[in-house]
Amino acid sequence: MKSFKSFGNSLNSLLVTETEAVQGRGRRKGGLNLITSVLLRLMAFQFNVRPSLRRYMKGKDGWINFSVGLKTENESVEQAIVFHDGRVRVLKKIPVDVDVIMHLTNNDVLKEMATSTPNEMLNLILKNKMVLDGNLAVLQLFNFFLSLMLGKTHQKKLEKKNREDLAARKKEFQVDKSGLAEELLERKQYRMRGVKGVDKGVSFLDDPYLPQFGIESFPRLKIFLDAHFDTLPEICVERPQLMTDWYRANGFETDADGQPWNPELRQAYALNYLLENRQPIIRENDLLAGTTTAKEVGVTIFPDATATQIWGELHSMENRVLNPCSCSKESARILHEEVFPYWMHRNIREYTRHHHDYPLCQKIDERFVAYFVWKSVGISHTIPNFKRLLEKGTLGIIGDIEYELENGNHDQLGRDSLESMKIILGGVNTYAANLAGEAARLVELETDPQRKQELIRLHEICSKIPAHPAETLDEALNAIWIIWTAIHLENANTGTSLGRLDQWLQPYFVADISKLETPAEREAYIKNAVELVGCLYMRLTDHVPLIPDIGNYLFGGASSTQAITVGGITPEGEDAVNDMTYVFLKATELLAIRDANVNARFHVEKNSDAYLKRLCEINVITSATPIMQSDQAMIKALSQHGYPAEDINDWAATGCVEPTLQGQHYSHTACILLNMVASMEMALNNGNHPVMHWDVGPKTGSIENGDFKTFESFFDAWATQQRFMIEQALELNDLFGEAHQQYRPTPLFSALIDGAIENGRDVIQGGAKYNSSGTSNIGLADVTDSLLVIRQLVFEEQKVSFQKLKEAIDENFANNPALLAMVRNKVRLFGSGDDDAVAMANRVAKVVHDCYLKHTSYRGGRIASGFWSMSQHVAYGSLSGPLPSGRLAGKAFTPGLTPNPAASKNFLDNITAVAGLNPENLDNNLAFNVKLIPSAEDSREQTVEHMFSYVKSYFEQGGMQMQFNVVTSETLRDAMANPENYKSLMVRISGYNAYFVTLNREIQIELIERAEYGL
Amino acid sequence: MSDSTLILEIKGNSLDDGPGIRSVVFFKGCPLSCLWCHNPESKRSGVEISFQGDECVACDTCLETCPLDALSRDHTFFIDRERCNLCFECVAECPSGALSRVGTEMSVDEVVDKVLKDKPFYDTSGGGVTFSGGEPVLPLEFLAQVLARLKNEGVHTLIETCGYFNLEKFREQIYPHVDSIFYDIKIIAEENHKRFCGRGNRLILRNFAALYRQSQNGGVEVLPRIPLIPGMTDTAANIDAIIRLFKELGVTKTHLLPYHPLWQEKNRQIGIAENEADNVELEKWIARDHVAQCKKRFQAAGIET
Repeated sequence: MKSFKSFGNSLNSLLVTETEAVQGRGRRKGGLNLITSVLLRLMAFQFNVRPSLRRYMKGKDGWINFSVGLKTENESVEQAIVFHDGRVRVLKKIPVDVDVIMHLTNNDVLKEMATSTPNEMLNLILKNKMVLDGNLAVLQLFNFFLSLMLGKTHQKKLEKKNREDLAARKKEFQVDKSGLAEELLERKQYRMRGVKGVDKGVSFLDDPYLPQFGIESFPRLKIFLDAHFDTLPEICVERPQLMTDWYRANGFETDADGQPWNPELRQAYALNYLLENRQPIIRENDLLAGTTTAKEVGVTIFPDATATQIWGELHSMENRVLNPCSCSKESARILHEEVFPYWMHRNIREYTRHHHDYPLCQKIDERFVAYFVWKSVGISHTIPNFKRLLEKGTLGIIGDIEYELENGNHDQLGRDSLESMKIILGGVNTYAANLAGEAARLVELETDPQRKQELIRLHEICSKIPAHPAETLDEALNAIWIIWTAIHLENANTGTSLGRLDQWLQPYFVADISKLETPAEREAYIKNAVELVGCLYMRLTDHVPLIPDIGNYLFGGASSTQAITVGGITPEGEDAVNDMTYVFLKATELLAIRDANVNARFHVEKNSDAYLKRLCEINVITSATPIMQSDQAMIKALSQHGYPAEDINDWAATGCVEPTLQGQHYSHTACILLNMVASMEMALNNGNHPVMHWDVGPKTGSIENGDFKTFESFFDAWATQQRFMIEQALELNDLFGEAHQQYRPTPLFSALIDGAIENGRDVIQGGAKYNSSGTSNIGLADVTDSLLVIRQLVFEEQKVSFQKLKEAIDENFANNPALLAMVRNKVRLFGSGDDDAVAMANRVAKVVHDCYLKHTSYRGGRIASGFWSMSQHVAYGSLSGPLPSGRLAGKAFTPGLTPNPAASKNFLDNITAVAGLNPENLDNNLAFNVKLIPSAEDSREQTVEHMFSYVKSYFEQGGMQMQFNVVTSETLRDAMANPENYKSLMVRISGYNAYFVTLNREIQIELIERAEYGL
Repeated sequence: MSDSTLILEIKGNSLDDGPGIRSVVFFKGCPLSCLWCHNPESKRSGVEISFQGDECVACDTCLETCPLDALSRDHTFFIDRERCNLCFECVAECPSGALSRVGTEMSVDEVVDKVLKDKPFYDTSGGGVTFSGGEPVLPLEFLAQVLARLKNEGVHTLIETCGYFNLEKFREQIYPHVDSIFYDIKIIAEENHKRFCGRGNRLILRNFAALYRQSQNGGVEVLPRIPLIPGMTDTAANIDAIIRLFKELGVTKTHLLPYHPLWQEKNRQIGIAENEADNVELEKWIARDHVAQCKKRFQAAGIET
């Protein structure tokens, strides 16, 4: 091993020097090609000879065969390595049927590759210095083999990187002030009092703000909360192992008799098998039974989509800098031998690549810069009808299905769909019965009398629900939770949301409390209700999505993003705020965790100011939640689709902020995350994207050639590029959708979303009552500002020629600081108080919105437009070049559609500008991110009063959504330097919440650089 | 005449200049000339030119533009104000705004239209518009017109004044359109007031007494505010004298405004060199415990701060 390492090291340095030597040698294959060949042969040798490596070459289904090619753009290097039936060969020419090729733009990249860890290769991929062409799962397998060879070197490198990063931060971000972390914690100590009887729907809470409770009132929740921040998530193989075993035995594409499977039946059977055989676990001290995985905090694995992307990290995930998770040796073995090989050619991407001949739209997606089509991971992002489930029970729903089978006029496809729904509901019932059994077992072992009672109760509950209707709050919450675990076995845990739980659960709360007579009993019950909801919140944190390291740079710190919606108006249009609204808000305030993602609806005419003030107070205490949503604006936005008023009134947030007509709508509200700036860059470069260095777009005119005589001609060029990109993304969305129809139809969703049973169609086939998809379009402010700069400085005032502006941009403004200053100071940007700027933003949003609206999706639905950004404004920003707006290369875009902080010194101008956007173009919502600093001199009441004024004025002027960070830049800097003091510091990115210390550096800096406004 | 006047700035989203969310209109020009003024660019009535070194991108455009050769990196303040004739050509060309104009002519309509834009916020928060500066009462007829228009729109109005004005004219034209008056009380001893503020204080104190008595008889509310300046206003003698005055009039509430030295950088931007009092105390923020001590004295006398 030692000699190999030193041999490898000296070869590495040889490679480095040789690379420098061959810089100009061009097409002739020279020394570099030879060295690459030697290195690959070394790898082949190792794997051909060493038993400790050879054992990885075989999986449960036999030899793992694959091939990888390596090529530089000028063809000075071309090699391939082939693993076939236990032998490894290196070839001088890449075979035609190679699985994947790594295209390197130049020899320098090869040098970088030689000296970086597989994790660092990510950066090369993101920056398009290395372009992957082919099967991404196979590349990860190759990475895994590389990491096996590098062994401990890889671990050591990562640990070193960790230490260096921490030391560097301490130096750069050290703040000379103490007490910042304490100030955040102190906020929880003071709680405002509310007033009784303000909200008509609140009947039982004397003080709806529930100030009498702090976290210390709930020791059980405190234990869960502390564990939450200290528990490392762990890879759980239960789901993939059980399901892959079932497929192996029963077939995936075809059944044991060679007949093609109806995908829905196949899924239903496989999931049923999983539900029957998974471990029924009741966590210690919990009031809710069941878990998403078999681990305390489990990382979920969906190998039919992107799970194979962590193949290369199986032995190193625990050591990575960002969001590490542990993976036991046994789990790694199972994934490598039993699971991943089965799926490496059988996943959404591969299906699309083969069936549609590696379409252009997929190639664009795999360059990371232009758009992300979420279906590569999953669909989810919708809300099941919990009301129907709680009222009927699964047996009731099965009854409806049987009725439909009897009396409906369904074709074979319909009958199979209905059968699938039945099967999976049966599986859920089995799981619940197993939980009941587990509860009984634990009762026997339990010595503490109170806990024994709780377990006895759990046994009763799980014997009853979800098969039968729920009658009490604890039955309802357990039913919801058990269904929820099943949903996350069927679907990736990415954005599936729980809906208006305050509305759905109020009847159970009322039924329970009405039976109690004394004030003391009722007070105790209210406390119990808060605790139960708290338990639900903590259960929601028992799973995190699988994030390959590259995802840490694209989706910093995101959890499963499960939204809960409270408040607003009833379907009939009346004030919906009720007791459970405030119970949920109390749990939100107490726990201050990133999941559930709480969205609070507010209707300016129907909801009380007291309710809005409470929402503001919770934002101050938690520093980042809940999100504020305006009912009027959202209702306006959704009305364009012709939905009935009572369904629109019942909208609920999904994932981050997007609207779903809860329980009746398959809405995939985040199907596409589109980089609007990419189109701007392409318009500036006649269809060429500078980072992708690819003439991917249509030819719309060259600035250098003076093709643009008017502003309108340039606007048209941008719009053309934008439409092109949208159409490509939509095409891929449809193709991936088709893959989902084959690989991951969703009978459980279908049973629980209205319409699918009556229509006899899985929701993936368009069976839901309402059927649409939603997008997020990132960079609205940056694109708008760029257009404004061009219009004002180039065409209206003629302060600079278009050519000169383009020249400056191409040099990242380095050689023209005066122009940069002019661009930043003399142009009336979006958010400056200028009406024309708002008009431009509206115009840009309309181009996007109208383009999506023309399209009908693979399942017959429309596409909605949103302008929030998750953390893509940072990811895409880091991959984008300089803009006419003065934004420099690699800088984050503004989050959501928040105006550039430099647009105005007066924050109110920002608010008015965003409120001035036409809601019709924003039918998938937006994110307006505001950072507020409470004044040390003000009382809590005064702070809340100021915040309330901003939010209410904003809503009254037509604003749709607003979300806060109530923390100073100083505190954030201190958190960067001393992350150990800030484990629980939560921030709002652009739609979702995350813990600041788990974010990548770029996102942290973006948050620090957001303009802050003092209260 | 009274159709336009020089405005320094209209600042939106202020939470510190009266109740609720407010816009603050800063007028240029003041009858007094207090040493510690934290808006020194507001003292003089005429238009001025400012240079902020931090903002400069060194593009040299201004050097090329100036017709009088009044700009130079060799000059301490960059602008040789003896040569400069305030043509502002350099300001027009300066891309970064490092060179800027101090004081812009605005008409009554322009001021009103600008502040009305934020009316939805005033309405929700119980805010409004505050007039400050400089001395807002100095352009009396202009102020009167703006106030009248705003009252007509239902906007809450507040003025921050030093009190040096003709009471009769004030009562006639300003008083009917003002909802609240913040009144500066600085130094009681006349000699010291002359020395540090440029004029005597008898008119100021007389006006204060009259307006305060009127406020107690159903008139516009008056809140006295005291800038705490080390060695000048925060002396035991001055504080006690102010307390005596307050007790005489029955004042029960005041605001204390702790000193800060940020005006010194502003002075440099408009080309003024010296810290005229040569007081080293004025280089830093006033000590917190010192402010606390002053507060205690007032509280002991039954006056809320």
